[in-house]
This record gives sequence, C-alpha cells and structure tokens, in this order.
Amino acid sequence: MSTPQFDGLIHAPTRLSLVAFLASTEWVEFKVLRDSLELSDSALSKQLTTLESTGYVEIRKAFVGKRPRTSARLTADGRTAFERHVLALQEIVSGTALAMGPSDSRE
Amino acid sequence: MEPADAAHALAEIDRRREQVIRRRVFPRWWWWAYAGLFFLLATSVESGSIVIVGAGIVLFAVGAFLVDIPVRRAARAATVRGEFATPKSRLQSALGLLGFVVVLVALALLTGLGWKALGLPFPGTVAGAVAGVVFALVGPLLVRWEAAVLLRRTSRR
Repeated sequence: MSTPQFDGLIHAPTRLSLVAFLASTEWVEFKVLRDSLELSDSALSKQLTTLESTGYVEIRKAFVGKRPRTSARLTADGRTAFERHVLALQEIVSGTALAMGPSDSRE
Repeated sequence: MEPADAAHALAEIDRRREQVIRRRVFPRWWWWAYAGLFFLLATSVESGSIVIVGAGIVLFAVGAFLVDIPVRRAARAATVRGEFATPKSRLQSALGLLGFVVVLVALALLTGLGWKALGLPFPGTVAGAVAGVVFALVGPLLVRWEAAVLLRRTSRR
C-alpha cells in the first residue's frame, strides 16, 4: 500500500490536470490531451518533457501512414507518485496530515 | 497547504477522471449510420431476391466496417484503464448490452409480425426502420449509463 507523499512536481496546476488525465488512461494521443486540457501544443510539450525527464511519463512517437502520432502514458513510477500524492491530499483534507517539511515535497 | 486547496486539487483529479470516462467515442451520426444500415439490410432481406439479399449483406458489412473506423480510432486515442472495470461492472455492462439487443430484436419482431398481421406492406422494412430508430435513440443513453456505472465504481470519495 502506498504511503502519502506530497509531490510538488505533480501538484503544479497544469501538471496536476495532465497527470490526473493520464492516470485514468493507458496510452493517450497528444491531440486528445491537448484538446481535453485546452493547452497549446507548446505548453503541453513542455509539461510532458518535464514529466518525462523525471521518469513520470513515457512518450511514444509512431507514424500512421505518413503522419507522426505522439502518445504518452504514466510510467509505473509516475503512477506510484500520483497515488501517493492523492493520498497526501486526502490526508490534508481530512486533517490528519503532519506538518509538511521541505523534504516532503519535490521541486 | 490548506485543506481547501487540497480539496480543490482532489476535485480537479476527479473531474479529469470523469472527463476520461465520459469522453465521447461514438459520435451522434454513428448511431444513425447504423440505423440506416439496419434499414438497408431489412429492405434487402424483404426483397426475397438472393442477389439483393447478398448485396444487402455485403453493403451492411462494408458500411459497418467504414463507420466503425473513426470510432475505433477515437477509442484507441485514449483508452480508459482496464483496471477501472471490475468483474461486477463488466457483468453489468454485458447485461446492459444484452438487454439492449434483446429489446431491439423483440421490438423488430413484434413490429414486423404486427404489421404483417394487419396486412400492411413491407413488414420487414418497417421492423428494420423501427429497430434502427430505437437503436439510434437509446444507444447513446446506454453508453451514458455505462459511463455512470464506471464513475460510481471509481469514485474516490
């Protein structure tokens, strides 16, 4: 069972939406993410790159015919970090969280 | 962090999960395209000509394949996590789908037989048209119901 841990990297507003969307899916196409989260191509790319560099997201580029198709999914590490972050949020809401020190959060 | 901020973040997470589950895979026209195909198939079968029945079956198969292409593509573009569905929710889903098919077939049979008993022309075609319209009207409701079942099952709080 996961232990709660607040994750500052995930908690940034746009990334929280992005990771939450990815957490409910397997692979998701870039276009679906962009349209669902109402982000620009560049903003979404930037967030995905950040998450990929920390090992939270895996990006796959494939060609369908001549068209490039980019997809993303949460890695096992990303999924675990998200689950722990959700538990931390739930604890905060229920008022059982211990005071969070700097070591409790990323970024 | 304040509890209110954490609650807001959890609400956002729930909203995104709901967005994934409710994501529209079947466009409205897809249901009506199938309604048209049912009508076409019923009409061809009623003609009694082997050639026309054969052509109707081929057209139905090709049409179904073509109208399913964008649906398959949309479904693949963002697949809901398989673990969201429990054996119970899968069973509910399967029973819902089975019930829908049984109702459609029963409705088509009752309409066709009733139409024929009244001595009216083209009972098979009318039955196909009725089944098609019911399919197009009720199908989207079935999909929404399945999404609601999945949402209830995955509700975090």
